[in-house]
Amino acid sequence: MTIITTIEGRETHIQEKKGVDFSPLACNNDSLAGSVSQRACVYSGARVVLNPITDAVHLVHGPIGCASYTWDIRGSSTSGSTLYKSSFSTDMKEMEVIFGGEKKLTTAIRELVTKYTPSAVFVYSTCIVGVIGDDLQAVCKAATEELKIPVIPVKSEGFRGNKNEGYKAACNALSELVGTRDYTSKKRFKINLLGEYNVAGDLWPIKSYFEEMGIEVIASLTGDSKVEEIQRAHCAQLNLVQCSGSMAFLANKLKERYHLPYKRISFFGLRAMASVLRTTAEFFGDKTMTRKAEEIISRETRRVQPQIEHHRSRICGKKAAIYMGGAAKAVSLVSALQELGMQVVIIGTQTGEKDDYAKISHIVKDGTVIIDDANPLELRDLLVRQKADLLISGVKERYLAYKLRIAFCDFNHDRTKTFEGFTGMVSFARELDTSINSPVWTLSVERVRQINKLNRAAKIHEKMFNGELENAEELCDS
Amino acid sequence: MPKSYATVNPCSMCMPMGSIIAFKGIENSMTLLHGSQGCSTYMRLHLVHHFREPVDVGSSALSERGAVYGGAANLKKGLKNIIKGYSPTVIGVATTCLAETIGDDVLQIIHEFEKEEPMGLKATIIRVSTPSYAGSHEEGYTETLKEIIQRLTAKGERNNKFNLIIGAIISPGDIRYLKDMLEHWCSEYILFPDISETFDAPLVKNVPKIAEGGTPLHEIRDMANSFETLTIGACIQSASVGSYLEMNYGVPHTAFPLPIGIEHTDMLIAKLEEISRSELPQKYERERGRLLDAMVDAHKVVSGIKTAVYGDTEVVLGITKTLREFGMDPLIVATGAKNPTFKRRVERISPSSTIMCGVDFEQIHKEIAGRDIKLMIGPSTGRQISRQENIPLIRIGFPNHDRFGAARQTILGYKGATWMIDAIANTLLEHS
Repeated sequence: MTIITTIEGRETHIQEKKGVDFSPLACNNDSLAGSVSQRACVYSGARVVLNPITDAVHLVHGPIGCASYTWDIRGSSTSGSTLYKSSFSTDMKEMEVIFGGEKKLTTAIRELVTKYTPSAVFVYSTCIVGVIGDDLQAVCKAATEELKIPVIPVKSEGFRGNKNEGYKAACNALSELVGTRDYTSKKRFKINLLGEYNVAGDLWPIKSYFEEMGIEVIASLTGDSKVEEIQRAHCAQLNLVQCSGSMAFLANKLKERYHLPYKRISFFGLRAMASVLRTTAEFFGDKTMTRKAEEIISRETRRVQPQIEHHRSRICGKKAAIYMGGAAKAVSLVSALQELGMQVVIIGTQTGEKDDYAKISHIVKDGTVIIDDANPLELRDLLVRQKADLLISGVKERYLAYKLRIAFCDFNHDRTKTFEGFTGMVSFARELDTSINSPVWTLSVERVRQINKLNRAAKIHEKMFNGELENAEELCDS
Repeated sequence: MPKSYATVNPCSMCMPMGSIIAFKGIENSMTLLHGSQGCSTYMRLHLVHHFREPVDVGSSALSERGAVYGGAANLKKGLKNIIKGYSPTVIGVATTCLAETIGDDVLQIIHEFEKEEPMGLKATIIRVSTPSYAGSHEEGYTETLKEIIQRLTAKGERNNKFNLIIGAIISPGDIRYLKDMLEHWCSEYILFPDISETFDAPLVKNVPKIAEGGTPLHEIRDMANSFETLTIGACIQSASVGSYLEMNYGVPHTAFPLPIGIEHTDMLIAKLEEISRSELPQKYERERGRLLDAMVDAHKVVSGIKTAVYGDTEVVLGITKTLREFGMDPLIVATGAKNPTFKRRVERISPSSTIMCGVDFEQIHKEIAGRDIKLMIGPSTGRQISRQENIPLIRIGFPNHDRFGAARQTILGYKGATWMIDAIANTLLEHS
């Protein structure tokens, strides 16, 4: 029995947590035709992972659309090159579709390398390339030899699966780079950050904590990274993997190839952030480092705690819905929301796998609805059924929430606010507070016609604006 | 310009995008893209960013198997699920590169669906062929209008209406402005496609699954029986919709540029006066007077300002014309679409401009740099150039991803031009 009416074939993707018997959720399969899935394609998965590499040319081999819709859409910031903010395309036309696009591709690569002198070129294949059978591998190999820089094919034909396949394609491309450059570090302790995309500059304060602890971050994959850094990533002693959906594949590959161990972590939430620093210090087993980590944790916690407490008092007890692309982000949101005293009533992901949902079912409370690959109609019914006060998701879902007069927080890769680390948590709490407690939700949707009701509403609003009233719910739609 | 093999920062989008916008102008309609899941998601994202509205677009979600053995099963399932989920009156099926290249016979598949599936006839299904490699979003839009008209119109009794076809992509606010004007003046008309409500819905208590508004199906059918057709925004883009009605049903057709700026608005108004046999309401005469007044007020600030205008062909044409009327210098006039008519039309109204056709932002940037451009006007896609060159950008047109109010922006008519002159003058002052 499903908890909301939906189309045939979707029932097994939705479940309400009740006690311990959580049967495995159907997931990680092709989206149902006509269900208006929020997922994108293989190309999209590969593109979001690789795009933050700043000094590379990201060349889309295909018709113009694929490049148009992905131009500068990530919120990843850079401290160096801005080359990644341009969108390159071979803009295939009918002629290339009929006679093949290899020649145009070869010329385009040559032209772009001459013009922009990138450190590497990533060539993404799109649906059509998969159908007409252009040999990207051969073109890229020849170009690498001719131009003396890595030209790497990304096997990302849109139809070859879902976004997870795209993550894998990106990891394969990255693994071609890793280990191709020697490096001797002056530092004793070295790590890589995997699945950290430096959205809105998330990475920078975190990196400074590691530096304070005497650790060098060799490469951050892929936020604010340079090709050179990725090439010497094998010189690290530990990989910290945040967005595991996109990067677990690479972490495993590097473990196999270089015996490079990895740990799954999250930089989101105070507890998680503290735990990263502790885990890392523990891994290296260095006493000075451990002391430093504790120092940072207590210093930073003390610094941000009062501000977070202020927002917490205004949002605790509210009901949140989470709909994320990847499961790792969804999981770390649950614990961060717990820190803020909020209750999770819906949690879903686009690309979660069996183990992810099992994990999610353990950490959420009874009555929480867990959903895989949700569509707008389902989300809408669930938001109403679960009486959510807030939706945390991406831009596509934002206006769905707004139309239902539910507060919203953009937690996707195109957000513009930093949410990670200690400072990020303050900005996250503020963001939720701002949206949840905005007076816009308390205004009556239907015009109030009785003057005495209006007077009452005005009084309540006055109190609210003066801070005498924390909660103006009673006003809504009397 | 030397031939370039790579496009750097595209100034256009692909055909199915235009198709989605056109179908959104039909009442209670849904679009299903026949292709892989990503196309629909990306285009939704693009539209959501611009209109700040929820946008639902289905996909047949073709996978590897579909690509090899054909997408019939997926398309049929997609149609079924869209009907079940949304109960639309019309479903637009737009193809993507993938579907076109694997060679699916979409018409045949739809035909089978209608026969096999008990609910197959619950919605009117319209197919349009829109592979990305065959044209830009502008062509996708006009192609879709043509397909809809060809498919739906039917000869019947003469009505007492005229058709007003929106031949180019304009904002919901623009369409609302036109409707307001007609409401106070000549009420008997069919406007198609009408995105004025569907892409800019008010906040209401009970949110419908499909946004209200759009041209009703019966009105589109009835367009064959109107006494005349006017198309606005069919100067550069194909006017084939109106021509089709003329040739098949004898409905006389006139194509106009978009009514942007004084003279292009005057042209449309003169025609409307002729067919409605009544004068333009006084309210709009005074609006025109106020526009002139505003232009006089600001003429020294804007005079001779070198401007770069880019974006969709018809909108760019209208803005270029308006800038000329303001006494400005539209030095660079560019569009991403490869359309030879564009050059000819722009040349006529602004012979001294550098006219660029089928270009990307790299080429536009190169042209802008070092030419003392003081102002840019176009979609938000020009923002990188604006930032790098420190030239203010007034965002007009689609897409506008980083400012509010794109759906409400009104550039049409006397009112739109008045907003433009104020916006331009103020931006220049702010930046001086």
